[in-house]
Amino acid sequence: MAQATTAITNPSDAKSLKWGGGHSPFNLSYGKIMMWFFLVTDAFTFGAFLISYGSKRFFTNVWPDPNLVFSGAPLMGHTPLPLVFVSIMTFILILSSVTMVMAVHAGHYMDRAKVTKWLIFTIIGGILFLSCQTWEWTELHGEGGWWGSFVDPTNVSLASLQHFFKPSVAASMTLAQATEATTSFFNFFFTITGFHGMHVFSGVCLLSVALINTVNGTYERRGHYEMIEKIGLYWHFVDLVWVFVFTCFYLI
Amino acid sequence: MSHEHNTEEMVELYEGDQSKLYSGVLNHHKDIHSQESKTQVKRIVRIMIYLAIVTSLEVTLGLWDHHMEVFNKGILNAIFLIMTLLKAYLIVDVFMHLGNEIRNFIMAILIPLLFLVWAIIAFAGDGHHWLHMNNTRANTIEMKAEQPK
Repeated sequence: MAQATTAITNPSDAKSLKWGGGHSPFNLSYGKIMMWFFLVTDAFTFGAFLISYGSKRFFTNVWPDPNLVFSGAPLMGHTPLPLVFVSIMTFILILSSVTMVMAVHAGHYMDRAKVTKWLIFTIIGGILFLSCQTWEWTELHGEGGWWGSFVDPTNVSLASLQHFFKPSVAASMTLAQATEATTSFFNFFFTITGFHGMHVFSGVCLLSVALINTVNGTYERRGHYEMIEKIGLYWHFVDLVWVFVFTCFYLI
Repeated sequence: MSHEHNTEEMVELYEGDQSKLYSGVLNHHKDIHSQESKTQVKRIVRIMIYLAIVTSLEVTLGLWDHHMEVFNKGILNAIFLIMTLLKAYLIVDVFMHLGNEIRNFIMAILIPLLFLVWAIIAFAGDGHHWLHMNNTRANTIEMKAEQPK
């Protein structure tokens, strides 16, 4: 009886205590548990995308070299600069994750001004990332890449695809191999980064709502900033997915 | 009805203020300038630096390989994957505070993700096998079809 009505207040007690009912078995609020479970399902969605991308890659004889496909950077003209722009994007997202965790930290101390400040930085980071992605998509679209592009070998010349491949690969591949690989590459690229970008956009929207609520003092009146923690979990997950997208598309 | 629990309190606990279900993290912190707070901020900054270092290393290795082509591609990809998993671990453990949750919860999150390990092995193997069939057996069938009867 006594145990049933006592909520655990010290986290270290919870680790050693056997659950006897009466309080959350995970010692977490409903909302946070559900956010975690949602993120697990979302991880499966992204996992399925990336694994199908990987198996398609294993299934093809040739594959475009990311360093040659993503070689541009804004304001740099046609200078080939592989990995430079995408590393900037990666750093932006990592930094926005840090500002997010700072907002969560400030929320633990009920510091409204600091939560507001860090949330604004996080939103700016998210918008910067989306702008970078817009530039990247525009650049690739300018090179002819889009969903279903280069799909028809009768309309595409081998010469127009060779600059996506390593010279050694480009010299020996057939047109059928090149169109199949290039089409798949762009389909997967736009689908996966598009789906990720949609997550970033939703994150920016959620953060904006949280910012309005913080400024209005909604969370202060509520007595806790748990909403910031939940949105924080989502935001870190988006950063986490980008870590994998970065490796799968740009490095490997 | 329930002999086990004090029902009035239960209703308050589950349907009322959710903050009572916290791990206590929220309720115990008062001063943002305290030593405890500063330690946590230092930890966050340290993880940020680790993430930046690992990402820079990845980019350096990638550029090095692109310009010099001195690496074995398989080993390089394995290094990239290990670095990615390391970054994922740092983000989940510290930024998402999963390391601070109770063990049962950590397992409830991590064990289902093992399914992805199976999926990666199965689908990569499948893709590899299909490529092998396409490059060998499909050609054999074509050759047979071309044979004059």
